Amino acid sequence: MSSITRSKSHVSALTSAINPLANPRGAKKQCELCQNHAHLQCTKCRVTFYCDTEHQQADWVGIHEKICQLLIPIRTATPFYSLQADRDHHCTQILHRQEELIEISRAVAQKKLFEGKYQESLPAAQLSLRCAMDVYGPSAVQLVPAYLLLAEANVGLGSLAQAEGYLSQAEWTVMKTPECSQTVRHQLHRNLGRLYTATENLEGALLHFANDVYYASEEYGLDNIVTCGGYFLMANVFIKQEKMDIASSLYTEVASTWHSHLTKLLETHTPGSMMLEHSFDEAQQAEADQMLRAMLKVQESNPKQAAAQNTLVAHSLAMLWFLGGSPDKALEFGRKALQSSQLVPDHSLTEHIQSLLQLAAERGPHLTIAS
Amino acid sequence: MSGEFAPRQIVTFLPDINNLDKRSPAQERSSPWSRMQKKGKETETAQPATSQTPTVSKDQIALFRNSVRQNACVEMLRGGFHRSFSELFSLLQRWKEMRLAAGPGSAIWQHKSPEEQPAKLHTLQHYLTKAETALRAGAWSAVYDQQVFLAQYFREPEDRWLSCHFYQTSLTSARRVKIDGGRKEAEALANMGQVYMDQGQLDSAREQYECFYQLTAGRAWSGEGGRSLHSQACEGLWRVYTQLADRPLQANDYRAAIDTLSKAFQMAKEAGDHRIEGEAAYRVGLAYQCVGDQVTAKRFLNMYMEMSTALGDAGGLGKAYKAIAKSLESEGKLSETVQYLEKFAEVSQGNNQYHNLEEACMCLGVIFNSRGQYERGCTYFERGYEIARDLEEVTLLQRAQVFVGSARAYSMIRKYSRSVETASHSDLLHLTGWKECRENVFTDTAGSAAAAEGKI
Repeated sequence: MSSITRSKSHVSALTSAINPLANPRGAKKQCELCQNHAHLQCTKCRVTFYCDTEHQQADWVGIHEKICQLLIPIRTATPFYSLQADRDHHCTQILHRQEELIEISRAVAQKKLFEGKYQESLPAAQLSLRCAMDVYGPSAVQLVPAYLLLAEANVGLGSLAQAEGYLSQAEWTVMKTPECSQTVRHQLHRNLGRLYTATENLEGALLHFANDVYYASEEYGLDNIVTCGGYFLMANVFIKQEKMDIASSLYTEVASTWHSHLTKLLETHTPGSMMLEHSFDEAQQAEADQMLRAMLKVQESNPKQAAAQNTLVAHSLAMLWFLGGSPDKALEFGRKALQSSQLVPDHSLTEHIQSLLQLAAERGPHLTIAS
Repeated sequence: MSGEFAPRQIVTFLPDINNLDKRSPAQERSSPWSRMQKKGKETETAQPATSQTPTVSKDQIALFRNSVRQNACVEMLRGGFHRSFSELFSLLQRWKEMRLAAGPGSAIWQHKSPEEQPAKLHTLQHYLTKAETALRAGAWSAVYDQQVFLAQYFREPEDRWLSCHFYQTSLTSARRVKIDGGRKEAEALANMGQVYMDQGQLDSAREQYECFYQLTAGRAWSGEGGRSLHSQACEGLWRVYTQLADRPLQANDYRAAIDTLSKAFQMAKEAGDHRIEGEAAYRVGLAYQCVGDQVTAKRFLNMYMEMSTALGDAGGLGKAYKAIAKSLESEGKLSETVQYLEKFAEVSQGNNQYHNLEEACMCLGVIFNSRGQYERGCTYFERGYEIARDLEEVTLLQRAQVFVGSARAYSMIRKYSRSVETASHSDLLHLTGWKECRENVFTDTAGSAAAAEGKI
């Protein structure tokens, strides 16, 4: 929240009205978000235009803040080079930057999606799509990730028709390229599944999630955290169908996969005392947090659930937050894990949890002083 | 001509995209798409008015577009059978790894992938999901049953690894079955023991069978065919111990071999099956023979002999006689040896085991020869020779020929050399007469003389 208000105060300083005479003739300036006639421009890069301050704000929060300076070399006119070699060099340079931009905007959009900020993720996703179109053409398979992001955001926002549109585009593109990678297929099916879940077509959703898990297993292996995401979504569908036994068995699978993954990470990283965030994609972290919390919530609302699983999930969350660099939360979840581990006859985890609590407590004061 | 002309009018330049039936034959080969259309056509003929284009469900499309493996996996996942999915998936993965590890040119390289055998894949899918349904309900014994079924389904040599895998998983699920006092676990252990035996991992097999034995001790469970599980365990252990003894036997470590074989004998006794008990006794006897403890050897061999007699097993009886004869021979009791060898010959003849008979004859011949009874030795050798001739085995025949020749020579040499030494007129006549006709002028008398000498 504070970041938004802060950026709002910046916003007014960042825009200025376009002076039409300052631009070359015939070049119509369009709004970055809605493609309408633009009246404002960003004063930092001077290559991005908006119809009003609202869109400018949305774009700034969504993506522009991160890429403002990167846009300048891409969007300014090509300088004059006398040599073909120079021109080629410039072209490849621009291409490279554009690819970089696609990747950055994709990651930003993905992270916002995992955090549940669907509206904010839209500008980034749109930028990613537009850049990809510029680089690869309008019907390339490389556009699929961007379509999928947009679809996911729209599913989240509840505008299902738009999401369906994007997904149809993506599906068609994938269908036309039989050699397209398993990753893309898995993401496509995951999003289709999300859409079907949102439209309450649960059988269809299950079909797509099943395909999603299949492709993900082909690509990443069976007990990978990516595959696991599909299981989690499936479990949610089964909960909606009120098949709690299936859902809980799926949750067990997810919990144990994440738990072993995080334990491994913790083991490899504890010796070095450097900051651990690098080992973890921010988007992944957000996804894991969201999933594990949801599982904890479902399990807590279901008292007959075994405490063993609660321990597993809470411990995973504690490890996640510890690795994510916030020991306070790690402590909180660690205590929760310790509590439920007391209820289980098998105490194999208790020791791990205690050592984690100790580690977190050691690191805790440092951070509070720093902040 | 006109008949041909009329339909041409209907044909447009480009095929009508709405009417999928009228594709050109070139496109209507056996692509999945055309197969799908055929299916669509059938439905269309059923209700021609309602729909122009056949509506194909997503499942049908997937059936044609995707591999069998993917369809099976997706089908399982849709039902939420994620354990079955991961089991099938990892099994298929393991097959690929095994194949790669074996490299081109190996046997597995020629085998068809399980993915390309829909029947197997569907069976796997069906029973795995059934097992998982049972697992969700917590019915471990049903899970066990499904897994055992799968293990038995994959009997063929190329699917052995699958069978082994399912026996293994069935063991873990059998351990979860609490209410039957460990009966399923015992069965699963027996299966695992058998699997290890087939793979030649004798030590692992022994562990399994020993657990099986302990579980069944004092229980009156009977398996299929009415046999008690305990006796099955004993028999399994007998087999394992017998095979385990082969290694020290080959290394000439007879003490260790005797230990193991005695265990096998104990187990055979406990199993209550005289056939295997006799067999075990025979092996123990042979091992003692190798050590040189003839008395103990004979004790065990006599046991075997008695059991074979009781069971009417002529082959076993022959083996027993032969082994006892060998023991007696090394003890130096030649007359008893001869007795047993004659019994051996008799049993073999009664049983039409000509190889054994030939062996017995040759042995008897050798013994009589060594005692100087060349004439009797010669008759036995000749009998052996005849049998070898009837068997048409050249090596046996040649061996017999040599023995016959040498025995006859021995039987003649005394008289002959005496004749040469004295060189009287009649002796010389004898010698020349013999040289001409080669009749047994010397043997007759010499043989009886030798026999007389032997008696003295």
